[in-house]
Amino acid sequence: MANVVRLQYESKPPPFGHEMRKCFSFDPEYINMNHGSYGSLPSPVAEAIKPYYALAEANPDLFHRFTSIDLIRDVRKRMAKFVGAAHTEEVVFVPNASHGLNTILRSFIWEEGDIISSCNTTYNSISRTAEYISDIPPHPEAVQFTLLFPTSHSEIIQNWRAYVKSLNEIRNQSAQKLGRRPKIVAIIDSIISVPGALLPWKEMVKICKEEDVWSVVDGAHSIGQELDLNLAEANPDFWVTNCHKWMYAKRGCALLYVPKRNQHIIKASFPTSHAYKKGGGSNFVEQFEWNGTIDFVPYISASCALDFRAWLGGEHVINDYCHRIALEGGKRLAQILGTEIIDQGQDFQFTLSMVNVAVPFPPTMSSAFEIDMAFRRKLLIKRKIYPAFFYHNGKWWIRCSAQIWSQVEDFEVLGEAILEASKEILEEFGDGTEKKTMIIEDKDERLIVN
Amino acid sequence: MSNTQSIAPVPIDQIVKATNILQKSSAPKFGHELLPYFSFKQGFLNLNNGSYGALPKVVTEACNELMAWQEENTDFYYRIGFIPPLIGVREQLAQLVGASDVDELVMVPNASTGLGVVLRNFLWQCGDTIIRCNTTYATVYKTIQYIHDVTPGLEISEFQLLFPTTRQAILDGWQKHITSVKANAPQGQKIVAVIDSVVANPAAAMPWKEMVKICKDVGIWTIIDGAHSVGQEDLHLADCGADFFVSNCHKWLNTKRGAAFLWMPKESQKIMLTTIPTSASYVTPGPDRPETNIVSQFQYNGTIDYTTYLSVHVALQWREWVGGEAAIHQYCNNLAKQGGALLAQTMNTKVMDPNGEFTMAMVNVTLPFPSDFQAQYDASVGTALSNKLLARNMYAVTYYHNSLWWTRVSAQIWNELSDFSILGNALVTICSEIVSEHKNANVPQNCKAVSFSSYLEQPLQGAVALDSNNGIGAPRPVTSTKVTLVGYHTQLASIRP
Repeated sequence: MANVVRLQYESKPPPFGHEMRKCFSFDPEYINMNHGSYGSLPSPVAEAIKPYYALAEANPDLFHRFTSIDLIRDVRKRMAKFVGAAHTEEVVFVPNASHGLNTILRSFIWEEGDIISSCNTTYNSISRTAEYISDIPPHPEAVQFTLLFPTSHSEIIQNWRAYVKSLNEIRNQSAQKLGRRPKIVAIIDSIISVPGALLPWKEMVKICKEEDVWSVVDGAHSIGQELDLNLAEANPDFWVTNCHKWMYAKRGCALLYVPKRNQHIIKASFPTSHAYKKGGGSNFVEQFEWNGTIDFVPYISASCALDFRAWLGGEHVINDYCHRIALEGGKRLAQILGTEIIDQGQDFQFTLSMVNVAVPFPPTMSSAFEIDMAFRRKLLIKRKIYPAFFYHNGKWWIRCSAQIWSQVEDFEVLGEAILEASKEILEEFGDGTEKKTMIIEDKDERLIVN
Repeated sequence: MSNTQSIAPVPIDQIVKATNILQKSSAPKFGHELLPYFSFKQGFLNLNNGSYGALPKVVTEACNELMAWQEENTDFYYRIGFIPPLIGVREQLAQLVGASDVDELVMVPNASTGLGVVLRNFLWQCGDTIIRCNTTYATVYKTIQYIHDVTPGLEISEFQLLFPTTRQAILDGWQKHITSVKANAPQGQKIVAVIDSVVANPAAAMPWKEMVKICKDVGIWTIIDGAHSVGQEDLHLADCGADFFVSNCHKWLNTKRGAAFLWMPKESQKIMLTTIPTSASYVTPGPDRPETNIVSQFQYNGTIDYTTYLSVHVALQWREWVGGEAAIHQYCNNLAKQGGALLAQTMNTKVMDPNGEFTMAMVNVTLPFPSDFQAQYDASVGTALSNKLLARNMYAVTYYHNSLWWTRVSAQIWNELSDFSILGNALVTICSEIVSEHKNANVPQNCKAVSFSSYLEQPLQGAVALDSNNGIGAPRPVTSTKVTLVGYHTQLASIRP
């Protein structure tokens, strides 16, 4: 068997904070405050995977027919343990979370009367996926749970319970008409993307179970940010996460978790495997081992990334630092901007390593995406500092990611930049009370929001 | 917005310095002189470009630069920076394959994905028919199977293709098959045919344009699996008549693995509702949906490493430097024909396609097994062939077709005629070993373990030293690993091309 080499480092890591930039390859002028969107690849991990690239070229047949398969099996074992799956066979690699979630949602045999539930806060491509599934025959009904901040975990759980119960009532009515019991599939974020907020997803999953609702958990932001995942205990029906976000693997590397009891639901991988057979389930892992030629090294990099994180002190050490900076930085930023953190409770139950702070705009400010584009020009392009921007419940917000290279000072620099930029935007776009022609500079701009 | 400190999108040539060397030197002749430009292990005889392609060193280095660029400012890269270079690559490919417009061509990770997303976009109904061949590539074959399994009343019609044969025989057979399918299909239900431009096993360049015409004349959709086409043959897609065409750039076009294109003319885009995974740009079909929405969707539909797509630009520069498309095709095609003949002579067997009407850069030759051995298919023979070739530091595909064992050999610009006789002599020995192992019942049904501990020149280090100036010590592996491999994937060895 070919095993992925475990790495040991010969010296101590740099301290957390700006000195940790030595382990990354950022543009020195760029202050990275948005790790959450695309992740960041540590230089030691980038170096550690080069021998695997060399192997792939030394003998492409040997690598692709045998070596990479063995190596990835080895990494899957490690990842299954890391997420607390009961069996290695419940964890497979997919290129990214969107791919994993699409695999699940497309695998269900949808029928008339079925319900596919998302939230207003569901990640945009996954909302579109639910929309697409509803758009095509037999048109399962797409419904949405509304989640508005400010709120609390207990309020969300209460509302979720009432929502799921109401879905059940709709289902029971349909069942009478159809003569069979339709299914309800609920997409739940473990950590919402925008706002960057930890949800009480384990309780929401429990409620789904009580009401006979499938729970499909979008855990894109979880691994590496959310401690003690323990999936066997949380027991969602399906769970997907991006290793290339908070876990420092190379893009694209994600995990698809399907407990054995549900593997029969996954009819096929995408693309379909040569190993496909009707009924799926019995050879779940085999169907995900080869789905067309890709760069397999990102899957291998997950192991190198875990070694790097162990070198830094491990998951708790990393996350304690990031969490502390997120809170201190977020508070400082709110102070500078004269606004607030979205997390209203004293215990900051929504905040792990991402913190959301309101932009200092008047409440009448337009929600047009041109304002998002304007912030992108003024901050990312002009000032080389950038958090994610989003509009939620009547306000513009920014989402900052605290990472091991971050310091509270970064939030101060960001604060000054946002004060300037929002003043400029108010002048250019107006405060929403009077009609003002929006100056749209780049008409060809593609909307890519993460 | 002009500000000297601002960052702006830049063309690939400003990011990649590795290709500068191409301007300063001229390429060697085709043949073994090119081996130092690739990264094969010393002495590895690569006669199987067809499966996974090969990355020239220059392209590897360029990819390292592109990956480093990605890490400098990932927000800029993923929101703005990758777009102009990606459009540039699509324009280059559109020109190379003779598409009429760049918005007819999008990038996908591989042919399986491209074909899978097209097939899954059709809204399948009871009474529809999908036509495939017995030689359709495994993932596509199974995609069609899957669609059949989840669509009650959908029919699969399989056209049998057995080699050796002739182009005319194929066309005659195809015409009969299409006529019969059309006659039996319910009125108003769609029929979709998946046609290989180049079959993988056996390697065979098909009269696909004529096959397309036969389908088009009776209103049958045509999806072309051209996985092996680009870089091996000239394409003129604008007037080919097909509805969809997919090809891998990482096979014969020297790009990083994970790059392919999907060609879909404007008419075809009408049935394309969504990428897989669905993109944030997806718009519900209807009057509000822009005509080019599907093209926007393919630009971003989940975080990936765009280096594979962007490497097309560098690969094309390298190919131009090394001799250009025409010269490459000519060398490889000639070598495949001559090499195949020499291989057959060495093994005292036969070339599948002696008059060359199916042969481009890949050639098929029967393996030297006794005829009674050939007649009895045994999957373990495929595994043994694969393992024994690898143990001898060489590789060509072996497969079973039409009651015979064959080898499929790829001729590439680093190959020479002598490579074919080396392979031939090795196969003679290997086949006789396998026959005697079978006689002595030494071969277990499923697998035979082969140790490749001597394969790597040095143990896998796992990491290289970082710049010692920054005071960070070099990662080193806990143990050095000898890579020991077990060849037990009988399906993988014989099905994947």
